[in-house]
Amino acid sequence: MARPKVENVTFEIDGIEVTAPEGALLVEAAKNGDVEIPYFCYERKLGKPVGACRMCLVEIEGSPKLETSCSTLVKDGMVVTTTSDRVKEAQAAIVEFLLVNHPLDCPVCDKGGECPLQDISYGWGSGKSRFIEPKRHFRKPLELSPLVAIDRERCILCYRCVRFSQEISEDYQLVFLDRADHTYVGTHDGRPYVGPFSGNIIELCPVGALTSTAYRFRARPWEVEGSGSVCSLCPSQCNVDFTVRDDEKVLRVLARENPEVDDGWLCDKGRFGYQAFHSPERVTAPLVREDGELREASWDRALSEAASLLQGAGAKTAALAGGATSNEEGYLLQHLLRHGLGSPHIDSRAGGELDAAQTRVLARPDLTARVGDIDHAGAVLVVETDPVDDAPILELRVRKAARRNGTKVVTLTSRPSRLDPVAAATVHFAPGAVEAALAALAAELGSPRAFEEPASESEPPEGGAPEDGAPEDGAPEGGLAGRALDAVATVAEKVGEAFGAGPPAGGLDPSALAHRAGADPEAIRAAVAVLGDAADDVVVLWGERVSHGARGAQAVDALLAVAGALGVAEREESGLIEIPAETNSRGLREVGVLPGLGPGLQDAPERGMGAPEIARALEDGDLTTLLLLHVDPLEAHPERPVWARALAGANDVIAFTDFLSPGLDEHATVVFPAETNAEKEGTLTHPDGRLQRARQAVGHAGEVHPEWRVLADLCTRAGESHKLLSVGMVTARLTDAVGFYNGITLDEIGGRGVRWQDRAAAGSLPAAEPPTGPLEAPPELPDGLRLGTAPSLWSGSVTRHAPALRFLAPIQRAELAPSDAERLGLSSGDEVEVSVGGERVRAPVALRQAVRPGNVYLVSGTQEENATALTNGAPRTVEVTKV
Amino acid sequence: MTETKLLTENIHEPGLNTIAVYERRGGYRSARKALFDMSQDEVLEELKASGLRGRGGAGFAMGMKAGFIPKGTMDKYLCCNADESEPGTFKDRLLMQKNPHLLIEGIIIGAIAADANKAFIFIRGEYELQAKILAAAVIEALEKGYVGKGIFGSDTNLDLVVHRGQGAYICGEEMALLDGLEGKRGNPRLKPPFPASQGLYQGPTLINNVETLCNTPFIIEKGAEWFASMGIDKSTGTKMVSVSGNVQRPGNYEVELGIKARDIVFGLAGGPAEGRTVKCWFPGGSSAPVLLDEHLDLPYTFEAMKEAGSMLGSGAIIVVDDTLPIVPLALRLAEFYRHESCGKCVPCREGTNWTVKMLERMDEGEGTPMDLDILAGVQQNIIGNCLCVLGDSMAMPIGAMIKHFREEFVQHMEAARDKRNLTQEAYGAGELAAAAEAGPV
Repeated sequence: MARPKVENVTFEIDGIEVTAPEGALLVEAAKNGDVEIPYFCYERKLGKPVGACRMCLVEIEGSPKLETSCSTLVKDGMVVTTTSDRVKEAQAAIVEFLLVNHPLDCPVCDKGGECPLQDISYGWGSGKSRFIEPKRHFRKPLELSPLVAIDRERCILCYRCVRFSQEISEDYQLVFLDRADHTYVGTHDGRPYVGPFSGNIIELCPVGALTSTAYRFRARPWEVEGSGSVCSLCPSQCNVDFTVRDDEKVLRVLARENPEVDDGWLCDKGRFGYQAFHSPERVTAPLVREDGELREASWDRALSEAASLLQGAGAKTAALAGGATSNEEGYLLQHLLRHGLGSPHIDSRAGGELDAAQTRVLARPDLTARVGDIDHAGAVLVVETDPVDDAPILELRVRKAARRNGTKVVTLTSRPSRLDPVAAATVHFAPGAVEAALAALAAELGSPRAFEEPASESEPPEGGAPEDGAPEDGAPEGGLAGRALDAVATVAEKVGEAFGAGPPAGGLDPSALAHRAGADPEAIRAAVAVLGDAADDVVVLWGERVSHGARGAQAVDALLAVAGALGVAEREESGLIEIPAETNSRGLREVGVLPGLGPGLQDAPERGMGAPEIARALEDGDLTTLLLLHVDPLEAHPERPVWARALAGANDVIAFTDFLSPGLDEHATVVFPAETNAEKEGTLTHPDGRLQRARQAVGHAGEVHPEWRVLADLCTRAGESHKLLSVGMVTARLTDAVGFYNGITLDEIGGRGVRWQDRAAAGSLPAAEPPTGPLEAPPELPDGLRLGTAPSLWSGSVTRHAPALRFLAPIQRAELAPSDAERLGLSSGDEVEVSVGGERVRAPVALRQAVRPGNVYLVSGTQEENATALTNGAPRTVEVTKV
Repeated sequence: MTETKLLTENIHEPGLNTIAVYERRGGYRSARKALFDMSQDEVLEELKASGLRGRGGAGFAMGMKAGFIPKGTMDKYLCCNADESEPGTFKDRLLMQKNPHLLIEGIIIGAIAADANKAFIFIRGEYELQAKILAAAVIEALEKGYVGKGIFGSDTNLDLVVHRGQGAYICGEEMALLDGLEGKRGNPRLKPPFPASQGLYQGPTLINNVETLCNTPFIIEKGAEWFASMGIDKSTGTKMVSVSGNVQRPGNYEVELGIKARDIVFGLAGGPAEGRTVKCWFPGGSSAPVLLDEHLDLPYTFEAMKEAGSMLGSGAIIVVDDTLPIVPLALRLAEFYRHESCGKCVPCREGTNWTVKMLERMDEGEGTPMDLDILAGVQQNIIGNCLCVLGDSMAMPIGAMIKHFREEFVQHMEAARDKRNLTQEAYGAGELAAAAEAGPV
């Protein structure tokens, strides 16, 4: 169901002829005529009106009663009056009723000065009340959750927060309790209202009933200013408005609605994470290692130290970028490495190298969907990602599409997803078997690529699931065209033999493929039935994890086969949206932070090593120096033991970071302080290709310098002659270098962003045709308890350093199917050790009915007991033993 | 004057609540007739032609309402509103307790008219005995195959569920009833969409009162023309009237619509006790604005009651005689609606609360005539501005009481004030005076 086409209608309001889209609500349409109708309970973002506050009553010709304009659709020729005595009397009456039990404590209320109740009382009330009886009292203020305080006396019971909980985040925690004028908002059992999106109710509240415990009593509205930017904590890149005091402190983060990006919602991480900006533990000055310890140093000293270390290492330098690295920083980083130091070893991905052709295919505009396309898609296929953890706002988007527009959701994930309950079909497969699951789906969808015989015998499939123990030798590198490193190819051959050098997927029927995926063939059929029924635009949300690991390229190939079978390229509002692992992964790839691809996804002059090989090369001494931009590989990359040896083996580690993780504290030689999101100026690229601007909201803390300038300085010291005087100059250079960004200016990006796919320069994307050859046969599943890992929304330093969020910091837990737990003699809460290859992670057992037997899941990205100790990009089986 | 017994014809026959006795009395013949001898449209036409109006309160034409249900193969629902909570109303209780199969048969006919395949009886939580009797009757009907899969051996299905409410008056409001049935907080929903298009579980839904449905077997059996011959104007058939208050013989009476109200109150219920007169009366439950003695000569019909500024409502006549003071009555009424307001919309939630607080003050001698104007103004501000009719249900009778008995309100307040002053004198007026002389502390 494509975005509906809307006709306009004309109606009269207060004597003004107004044109509005047919089917618009009167309260919205009135704005077209500059007529303001007051309201409390109505909120466009919340969907269906409830008509509870009665503030928006208007007179409509032909209707005997006053009607609520929030629930009335405009019709052609309608005549509406909002200023008649009858309407004015009703409005004044409602204001009077609302204030009957409202404490009118505006002078001490946080909302005072930005309060709709205050504004509407002044604007539409009679200015006096006839109520002289005692008011209703509640205990107050109370903690509704650690993040939200509730003052029930101020509450006007507008339903917004309750509707948010029930119809937007769908956690059904907030309800009305008791009745009549004793009604109050709370949770069923009085437990705290905790959820990933709970902070939105603060912003929705039209009075001072719900206030942020982090912002409460910190400022009055007239002491602060708003400053628009983009949140850089996850790939959703929600548009935000920083509330800033004295140009130096961020006191609050509000949503800055952009329907094409975030729908006006924020997750709690984005809303409260600003507290980490002002954490005393933040690194705010350059550090240099002296006598084995990191000490504060002057910028001159740190820069010369870093420059000389880098020049000394030259081509033996490698660099990794992650987190919220902006396009400008990424561009300068690759420029520094490739042109200043002559090293091609640069990567922004944790999961191994991407195939160049595939990268270009995935960037094709016809294969990419917009975030807004989710709203009206016939079906949304969610592949190996749980949006709440990877890009939370997209979860709300999917829920909205399913709830309001009947979009069918199909989830295809290894770990049970939070979207499963709203999904029309759900497929769970074994960890690491996404390739087989996608191949099964493609085959069931009738993709010819799953049934064709291979085009030529000369291209034997490579790779395969390594046997237990094999990964320590190095994970086999994927790659369709047989471009794997020699050493790896040997392993691949060996493994290939072990599995009988797999026949094409064509040799396997969908059920056999489902079996290899550890999935229920029936579930795959059900998923295909739903996708087939939708027979409409399909948006595929897929997690970057699909492309990780030894057979990442084959998995992406299978994904492309699914996309081909669904015909997404032929439909305007269909397509893929990759949910990357890091905020700006898409931008970093497009500006050339990849081992094989330079700016604009052009082949790099020299192919470098990807992150897994960089680790080994550092360990072996083939590389000596590591430059880290917003990433600590010990926390964010698989193969933690390998990285531990790599960092120990590296001569020097130069890092840009906001907080010193234990790994950086131990190994870094020079540390440059990273800018916070509120200090940064630059551009980010949203997963759907939208370039967005991060704008500086506050001055730099302490000794922090703009990171682009530090990188530019390092470039200059490495011999670059072109002076870069402002971040705008860097942007201009990178839009010149990235063909399909050509001509994009900061002005054009503006506050809403611009998708490069929608511009003429999109044609400069290096040509790449979607593959048409047959799929390889995916490997068999390893026997034993298979390990899967998934990140948590609350992983990362922000949760640890924002006091309000600290209680949410994830702790490790081993999720098991009840049948497996029974077999292992475990019950919920037991401490276990999950181990493989000598590495172990301790965790309490969490039983989950939805986990398929044979699988165990750990959280990745925790600071302690991080699951990356056990992962190596290939399917692994683990031992689980009680301690 | 006598009753016209249709629904209550054999009501006191022992064992009528069992299917055996009910069938012996000709029960389920109409359901069979509607199912096998008539098409859905014919049933619908018959109901429309009968002029049967809803007996729950609003008096909407039942046939027309059933006709709003769209055609199609989707799940359609019939909800029987048995949440009889309107103060003074107890007619459905009698019908369900004594003759549950009549209701079941009515539901079958209603379901045929609406082409519904799932039916629910939402019965007031306090009606525990009636719910048990009804549930037993449903089981009997299920065992006989009259409800459930393939009713009466046809290929029509009709699931029937008895659902007990949890004690909220608002759940008798049709939209709140649907939310309650769905397991949500029973709050009225915004209309439109109306239940006929998006009701229970967003499906087309026909909602009818117990008494309304109980009429349908007779219409099918004896024809619309026969039914319409009873009553006058657009008020056809008989009506169960629950008479309560200051009368000598309170109880349920079934009368032909159009009978003089005085014949019900005095002829059937015996009127107030010797030597007392009717001060005012509620013609249709406590939500109906009160009428005076002179209005007793009006015919008891939907139209006449509306013209007099009130409504026939649920057909519950509450008689107030001249010994009852009006202010405590108004207060009691307001307290009921304050307690039962769901709290969703502002005028009802705050207005009922405000009204109670003012009336309490008046009753305690703290009120002034100016408060009476404010009280009347508050009622005016409630009426017509609410989401559902609950707010109006308080504001209209209270407004009518102020209109008809303003003088008594003033006298009551003065008397209460005098009484309070006397009390103050008795308990140390001297101390008060001393305190006043001492000035502010």
